[in-house]
Amino acid sequence: MSKKMEYDRKEYDVTRTMPGNWYLSSYKFRYSLDHLQPWFKKLKEKKLVGTQCRSCNTVFFPPRLVCGYCLVKPDLWVDVRETAQVATFNITYEKNPQTGEVVEKPVVCVRHDGTDTAFLAQLSPEINFRETYVGMPLKVKWRDEPEGNIGDLEYYEPLEDEAKDLRKEE
Amino acid sequence: MGRQVAIASAGFCEHAVRRSDVSMPEMVKEAIDDCLSKVPSVGIEDIDMFVNGNMPAFEGASIPELWMTDWMGARNKPLMRVTTGGTTGGTVAIAGYYSVAAGLPGVDTVLAVAFEQQSQGDTSVGLSSVALGELTAIQSIGMPLQKMKRLVSAGAAIGIAAYQATNYMRKSKITEEDLARVVVQNRRNAAKNWYTHLKMPNVTIEEVLDTPYISYPLRFGMVCPASDGCCAMLFTTEEKAKDMADIPVYVNGVASVANETGIMGYNAGGGGQLDPSEQLGAQRSAELAFDQAGISFPGKEIDYAEVYAPFPNQELMWVEKLGLFETNTAPEMYANGTTAANGEFPINTSGGVNSTNAIGASAMERPAEAALQIMGKAGNQVPKTVHTSLGHGWGGIINLITMMVMADEPKRKFK
Repeated sequence: MSKKMEYDRKEYDVTRTMPGNWYLSSYKFRYSLDHLQPWFKKLKEKKLVGTQCRSCNTVFFPPRLVCGYCLVKPDLWVDVRETAQVATFNITYEKNPQTGEVVEKPVVCVRHDGTDTAFLAQLSPEINFRETYVGMPLKVKWRDEPEGNIGDLEYYEPLEDEAKDLRKEE
Repeated sequence: MGRQVAIASAGFCEHAVRRSDVSMPEMVKEAIDDCLSKVPSVGIEDIDMFVNGNMPAFEGASIPELWMTDWMGARNKPLMRVTTGGTTGGTVAIAGYYSVAAGLPGVDTVLAVAFEQQSQGDTSVGLSSVALGELTAIQSIGMPLQKMKRLVSAGAAIGIAAYQATNYMRKSKITEEDLARVVVQNRRNAAKNWYTHLKMPNVTIEEVLDTPYISYPLRFGMVCPASDGCCAMLFTTEEKAKDMADIPVYVNGVASVANETGIMGYNAGGGGQLDPSEQLGAQRSAELAFDQAGISFPGKEIDYAEVYAPFPNQELMWVEKLGLFETNTAPEMYANGTTAANGEFPINTSGGVNSTNAIGASAMERPAEAALQIMGKAGNQVPKTVHTSLGHGWGGIINLITMMVMADEPKRKFK
């Protein structure tokens, strides 16, 4: 399978080159996360909240500092359901550097019911992720003892899709 | 309404995976020479202003325009630099357009140059520097490193395209074979064009489908290369263009529309694009540009289109979102040969970004190729006469969509 595709290649001369480096660790990024503190507090109680823009009613989950449509700060806290849907997904192929084995891993973006944004999440490792599709219903699986950070949403479990037959017909 | 702007010429340098024989300024000089060789009456002394752009994080060279001032012939002349990531080329072209359209005294002829020498640097480091602040922040709020590594590997340019592909494939019910067909058309077209990178004259659909997945549903054979290359365009006024070129190309509409980030979102919040293949920014951009150019039926009035599609699913998506084809009909058009070089509506006969991707230059190569098709000087010229064409550009994570609509006749809507 690892066949490379041939193409008409032209060889060029090699001029003198000098190695150089940029030290990325010398850069410091200033970043505000204070707006997430109420969200973390609720996660510890196994509750989900999002912020709603008072101008256009868009619900952001996780909360965001600015609404891009209205240029106002969404400051209305609303409850969000535990059920969600797959908004989009892809499958990555990770190579283990020690064994050289390639492992398939799904990455899904989920949209919680009642919100207008999608965010990156993980599917339950028990299910066959090859059956993932856009619109698949999911439910949050909480960590046993929530610590008040993003790891509390351990993964998402699939629910029975009542509309699956209808979708196939369309 | 500013002055009517015309494109007098456009030029390229040879693209390859490693242009080890030239430095960055020397490579830029090659494209400028090719651009000026198509307009014999214009010398470097006739150029009043320069616009320059690339994505500096990909090469690790800051302020490259100072390095190449002499190689561009820009000494003691106004020089402006624009950089907007993936759409740098498109924005540089639009900046060149604006410089002429503004009608400043003494600025009539503008040379716009966009380039990228990716073999000098590390593209993935450059891309991660875009999102490093976001990623470190997410890590600090309890995301395990192993999980985040996976999210990052799915979040680069190919990840964004893979999300678009899964959603597009679900909506239009296409298979991987349809994607491979787009690749085959592009790579075979590239073999007929002199400057392109991946020239594959005999590639087949089976060969493309025989390569391993990089990120489902995109395979190794479907993905764009990383090239070194440069593109130059000469913008001037309507009157001067008539003296310079046999067939001047008039720019009738430009647009550059920003959309929300693809997947990551801001401030650790979610992404607002629930359906990555919806592309409201592209629809708005097309609407603006066609409105300026007075085009009501883009599918019928436009003869040739160059769209920015590093991945085959994007090419299918853009031609629909820009209004060239009806929704979900693009795969059929590729299957029945409508979009081939001798077809009814040729698309990307230069080989497209799928065959040649020098990131900073790619978005400028689209309008440049579209202009050369009208002039009849393109590397892989279509047999039919092209009167109206469009060049489109798309920029990675921050969705910025640029459009340039051009024709062989000026638009006189406001006179």
